[in-house]
Amino acid sequence: MSAIIEIEDYSWQYLDSSVPALNNISLSIEEGTFVGVIGPNGSGKTTLAYSMDGLIPGQYHGIKNGTVKILGREVEEYPQGELQQQVGVVFSDPESQFTAMTVEDELVFGMENLGMTIPEIRECLEWVLNLTNLGPLLNKPPYEISGGQKQQVALAAVLAMTPKVLILDEPTSMLDPLSRRRVFDVLDRLTREQKNTIIVIEHSLENLIPLADRMILLSDGQIVLDAGTRAFFQHVDLLLEKGISPPGAMRCFYELSRAGIYKGSLPLTVDEAYEKLTKLLVGRKRPANPQREGSQA
Amino acid sequence: MSEGQAFIQVKDLSYCYPDGSQALSNINLDISKGEFIALIGQNGSGKTTLSKCLNGLFKPTSGDVIVDGLNSKDTPIVQMVRRVGYVFQNPDHQLFNSNCWDEIAYGPRNILLPEEEVKVRVEEAALVVGLPELYFTEHPFFLTKGLRQRVAIASILALRPHVIIVDEPTTGQDVRQSFEIMDFLKDLNEKHGHTIMIITHDMPIVAQYTRRVIVMGMGQVIIDDSTSEVFKQADILAQTFLEPPQITQLAQLARRLGFDPGTLSVDEMVQQFKCIAM
Amino acid sequence: MNKTLLGYVPNESPIYAIHPFVKLFFLLVVSLFPLLFAAPDWNIVLMLVIVAAMWYSRVNMKTLRLYVPVAISMGSIILLSYTVLGGIHPEYQLLVNLGGVHIYWERVRDAIVVYFRILPMIFTMVFFLTTSRERDLIVAMRSIRMPFVVTYVFAMALRSAGMVLEDFQIVRQAEQARGFDSEGKSIAYKVRKYVMYMIPLFALSLRRSEEFTNALVARGYAFTGEASRVKRADYVLTHYRFRTLDLVLTAIIGLSFVVLLVLHYSFHFFALEDSWIINGLKQILI
Repeated sequence: MSAIIEIEDYSWQYLDSSVPALNNISLSIEEGTFVGVIGPNGSGKTTLAYSMDGLIPGQYHGIKNGTVKILGREVEEYPQGELQQQVGVVFSDPESQFTAMTVEDELVFGMENLGMTIPEIRECLEWVLNLTNLGPLLNKPPYEISGGQKQQVALAAVLAMTPKVLILDEPTSMLDPLSRRRVFDVLDRLTREQKNTIIVIEHSLENLIPLADRMILLSDGQIVLDAGTRAFFQHVDLLLEKGISPPGAMRCFYELSRAGIYKGSLPLTVDEAYEKLTKLLVGRKRPANPQREGSQA
Repeated sequence: MSEGQAFIQVKDLSYCYPDGSQALSNINLDISKGEFIALIGQNGSGKTTLSKCLNGLFKPTSGDVIVDGLNSKDTPIVQMVRRVGYVFQNPDHQLFNSNCWDEIAYGPRNILLPEEEVKVRVEEAALVVGLPELYFTEHPFFLTKGLRQRVAIASILALRPHVIIVDEPTTGQDVRQSFEIMDFLKDLNEKHGHTIMIITHDMPIVAQYTRRVIVMGMGQVIIDDSTSEVFKQADILAQTFLEPPQITQLAQLARRLGFDPGTLSVDEMVQQFKCIAM
Repeated sequence: MNKTLLGYVPNESPIYAIHPFVKLFFLLVVSLFPLLFAAPDWNIVLMLVIVAAMWYSRVNMKTLRLYVPVAISMGSIILLSYTVLGGIHPEYQLLVNLGGVHIYWERVRDAIVVYFRILPMIFTMVFFLTTSRERDLIVAMRSIRMPFVVTYVFAMALRSAGMVLEDFQIVRQAEQARGFDSEGKSIAYKVRKYVMYMIPLFALSLRRSEEFTNALVARGYAFTGEASRVKRADYVLTHYRFRTLDLVLTAIIGLSFVVLLVLHYSFHFFALEDSWIINGLKQILI
């Protein structure tokens, strides 16, 4: 499988800034991977996302060094509108990325921009509605639906353009916990049905970790850690130092590791944590108090 | 914590929007001095509306809101906001001065305090929120979101309200920034005695900092209890699109193993583990 | 209830059976009718026809009450500017001389004519706005092949207006929450303080427009160049079919206009001299 995104020695400095937002980044992403990008505010995550979609340098002024290649072509070489067919972006503010007057118009807007015909639009629309269950909302204007629903519409609208790469820049920061879960559910279904390359930038790790194949830590414009998810979370010390807080269940086992009580890889989900907890307690109790096992209610 | 009457008393509060839709129905609650409360609930459940009723921006359609003995229906907003401060979710909605000093001084000047007093209040507020002096002459528009939020909070603090309501203090902030903001809210509460109420979706923050949680859904108060007790009721929380923080979820899954379903922190969890395993 | 541009219309309203183009056509053509009617009598009839159309479309008639003060103040202004500020015209018939201000019959008559020409135009506009949802407006414009950019800018302007109004409310509350009290202060004070509202609104719009532009680009919208000339499928039009009823209505409106045109210019119908109202008024005042 070839690398669909190839970034080499890439630096970007905004015109009004004295330090580069991204400093000599090199990154290679294979098609079909689910990548999570995390890091403190100001570390360059959004800059990275925008660089992969051509928004940088297309919409922003600054100095670029190095190369950013999508599907083997430099981002700047794509004629207007073509790169967006391959790379879709979902932004963090549900309100400002709603570009049409009703949900249906929003879903169809991108497809119309690409010059798709009515039968093609109809087909894609149906597929996207199946994936996201937005059917009942089709005729509603943006002020009649919640923030969570708007984000789902944004995701659906981008998917309707069938991009090969999907980038989500803090898609759930303005949503309540269950709406957050719903967005990630759609992503989950997507990974199972299609072979999109998905890149998610997030602060909230709980929902991201179970889905990500690979995690990247950005700090001060540089990639500090880049590894498969499980291997990534062997380095909790580094994460804590860089201002990342692992989710509660994982953190608990990290503390247990530090206390010498647990050895092994840290759990990525609550269910996994529970399993390990059970094993751990059963394992420990047997030598200490054999009767207690039976009397546990 | 509470001596005699509660500082804020809400009795049968109902509020209807001008277009007729019901935002709040029959809310009853008391808030005493020194509490640290989280107000949670799905989007549209009435959290912001309730807060605005508490500081006098909205007058109840029926029922009463009594703050420090003053009924909000009979009291001008200017009097109410000196007792209950509300920091808006988006600082851009309130920042308009050309430099941070004037921004923070705006409140005290509005209530016609003498300039020497204004100076004292501005410096005090800036110190509490951790705003370095070099930002005093900066234009708020060009600051980062975190700094803008601090300026906004400082500008409310300068009025010295006893109760401070902060709408979404940690949204869009990274972990370090979130802890910074929450830590100084905690200072305000523990060292300076302010009553703090935060509106948020961030459950781990709620678990770590607050002592009482009010859960809202569809314009009503669904649960009003201590943090630990509230998070035990995961099924009710799910009705209003919420869930307990992950560590509590783990504890609840592991209830059979002897863990307390109201566990709020990783440390508590680890402690319990050590007890159970021995 | 469906929200229209100016109020609400129940879901079962017959107005939904009509293609939005017909509504737009009605607005554009019928607004021209008053230009053909010099006599106020006819304009009043036209107004009643439009009100009847509104009632038939199940528009909430209470919204019309909002326009009564507007109508009254507008009428007063027109009357005043035509009479009091009309100047001295010895060739006109003087009705009364109020301390140097000459009130002429011709001026009063002209004021009435103008007033009753403007009213139906406004009513037609109100009828259109109270029965059209935002989407209808866009569909109507697209169906007459207006360039996409124009209709899109229009739609976004509508949406931004709503967002700005909302923001304005919040900004007002934010200022009040910091002790701002404009009660009992002079108008000059309030106007000066207006800058307080403008700056946050401006700041918010600036930030939003950056995100919005990014969103447009991310949706593949090209502002210039080859890609901007793509043939748009206009999917939304697939929901609206131009039916026989629409054709008939369009024909009726168009034909009416032609007939009225002929009647007015060739046969001098709707003239001022034939107006009962004007003649009656003249008899009373002179």
